[in-house]
Amino acid sequence: MRAALLLLAALAAVLLAPPAAHAQALRRAPDLATSISDEAVSVTSDYRGARLTVFGVHWRRGRAPSDVVVVLRGPSETQVVRRKRRIAGLWINTDPVRFRGVPSFFALASTRPVGEFLDGRTVTDLGLDPGALARLEGETPADTDSTSYRRALVRLKQAEGLYVLRAQPLLLEEDGAFKATFTIPANAPVGVYGVDVFLFRGGRLVQRKPDEIVISRIGIEKTIYNAAQRDPLLYGLAAVALALASGYAAAFAFQRR
Amino acid sequence: MSIYLPIAEMSVNGLLIILISGAIGFFSGMVGVGGGFIMTPALIFMGVPPPVAVATQASQITASSLSGVIAHARRRAVDLRMGLLITIGGVAGSTFGVWVFAWMKALGQLDLLISLFYVLFLGVIGALMLWESVAALRRRASGAAATRRRRKRGWAHRLPMRLRFPQSGLYMSALPPIGIGVVTGVLAAIMGVGGGFIAVPAMIYILRMPTNVVIGTSLFSIIIIAALVTVLQAAQTRTVDLVLAALLIVGGVIGAQLGARVGARLKAEELRVILAGVVLATALRLLWDLVARPTEIFVLAS
Repeated sequence: MRAALLLLAALAAVLLAPPAAHAQALRRAPDLATSISDEAVSVTSDYRGARLTVFGVHWRRGRAPSDVVVVLRGPSETQVVRRKRRIAGLWINTDPVRFRGVPSFFALASTRPVGEFLDGRTVTDLGLDPGALARLEGETPADTDSTSYRRALVRLKQAEGLYVLRAQPLLLEEDGAFKATFTIPANAPVGVYGVDVFLFRGGRLVQRKPDEIVISRIGIEKTIYNAAQRDPLLYGLAAVALALASGYAAAFAFQRR
Repeated sequence: MSIYLPIAEMSVNGLLIILISGAIGFFSGMVGVGGGFIMTPALIFMGVPPPVAVATQASQITASSLSGVIAHARRRAVDLRMGLLITIGGVAGSTFGVWVFAWMKALGQLDLLISLFYVLFLGVIGALMLWESVAALRRRASGAAATRRRRKRGWAHRLPMRLRFPQSGLYMSALPPIGIGVVTGVLAAIMGVGGGFIAVPAMIYILRMPTNVVIGTSLFSIIIIAALVTVLQAAQTRTVDLVLAALLIVGGVIGAQLGARVGARLKAEELRVILAGVVLATALRLLWDLVARPTEIFVLAS
C-alpha cells in the first residue's frame, strides 16, 4: 500500500513536471524516475533551514536494485584548516592547509552503510566520501601528512551540521520505490545543490541519475545581501542612517513621555 | 520568532536578541556605560561570527550614543571643541583599526585578536571598576565624605599646540585629546565597543575635564567614530549585518533610555559592583578559551 502510494506520488511528480524535464529524465534513465519535493528552496527572513525529500521508482520487473544511495551536495568551496598550537601559553591557530573543491554541504542517505556493499575505491570514485573530494593545495606541515587535516575537515563540517554521512536509512520497497529525506540547516550556503541517485545491484553500479536544486535568497534577504556585496559603501551609509534615525527617534520618544 | 541573518548566514531567535540587547542596554544605561563591551561577547557566545558581531555592534553604538547625547546637549554639557579634537584622533584610529581588522581576517587570526583585546581590556576595566565601586561602598558605609581634589595642571597640559576650551574651562595642548581619540577609534574598530570606558577615565584623569561635560563630550565623539567604523567595516570587510543591527538597535536603544531613567533615581554603587563582576566573568571566560587545552585542535576557515 505504502509502496503504491509512493509510486503514484513519484509518477504524478514526473508527469506534472515541465515537459522538457520529463523528456530529459526519460532519456537519461529509461527505467528510473525520480522526483524532488522542491526544485527551489527560498531563503526568506524566517528561513530556518529546509527539508527535502527525494522520491524514486525503478520499474524493470525482476531486476530491482539491491541498494540505493542518494547524495545531496552543496556548491564547492575552498577551505583552510588550521591547527592550534600552544604559543606563550595561548592556543593559537597555526599551520594552515588549504583544500579546494570541498563540498560546502554533503548529506548521504543509503539503504545500508555504503561500506557494507562497496569497496573503498568505488566510494571514492563515485564521490560518496566528502573528505576524498577535497583536493589538497600546497604543502602540509613537515611533521604530519594531509590525512589528519582531511579527517579534521570532515569532523568539523559534521560538527557544524553541514556533513551528514549517515542520514536516516533510505526506504526501499520491494517493488523498487524509494524515498530519502534530508534536512538542510540554515547555516548551509545558498547555491546550486547536486542531487545524485545511485542504484546498485550486488555491489555494482547499475544506474546513476544526476539532478539539481537551487537554494537562493529572495526578497529582503536578497536585497540586503546583494547591497552589502555590490555597493558596500552605500550599504554602510544605510546602516549608519538607520542607526542615526533610530537613535534620534528614541531620544524624542523618551523625552516627551 | 526566528529570523535569518543575511550576512551572518544563520538563523537566530529575534526576540531573544532584542531581549538580551535590551537587558544589557537597560543595565548599562543605569550605570552610565555603553554596554558594547558586554553585547559583543554575548553575540559571539551565541554563535554569531566574531567579525560580524564586532562590525554590526558599531551601528548599534552609533544609535545609542546619539540617543544619549541629545539629553546632554540640551543641558549644554558637551564640549564641542574638545569633542571634535577627539573625533579627529578617532578618525585616524578607527581607519587604522579597520585596516588591522581586515589584515588579521585575511591571516585567519582575527578571532584571536578580538579575544586578546577583550581579555586585556575587560580584565583591566573590570578590576578597576570593582576596586573603585567597593571603595565607594566602603566610604558610604563609614559615612566619610568623598574627598575633593583640587584640579592641577598635569603633564598633558604642558605639551605644545595649546588651545582654549571655554566649555571645560581649560587651556591646554590639543595633542592629548587627539591621542585619546586614536585609542578610542582603534578599540571601536577591533572590539565593536564605543570606547567610552577608556575615553571617560582618560578625560577625567589626563585632561582633567570637569565631570559634568565628560559623558556628553565622549558620547559626541563616539557617534562619529562608531558611524565611521560602520561604514569602513561595511566597505572593507563586508561584515555589517543590517538585520542583526536592527534587532540590536531596537533592544539596546530602548533599554538604555529606560535604564537611564531608572538609574537617575538609584544609587549606582551596588550596580557597578555587579557590572564589574559581569565584566570580569566575561574576561575570564574568554581567557579560559585561549589557555585551556582545546578538545578539537583543528579549526576551519573559508
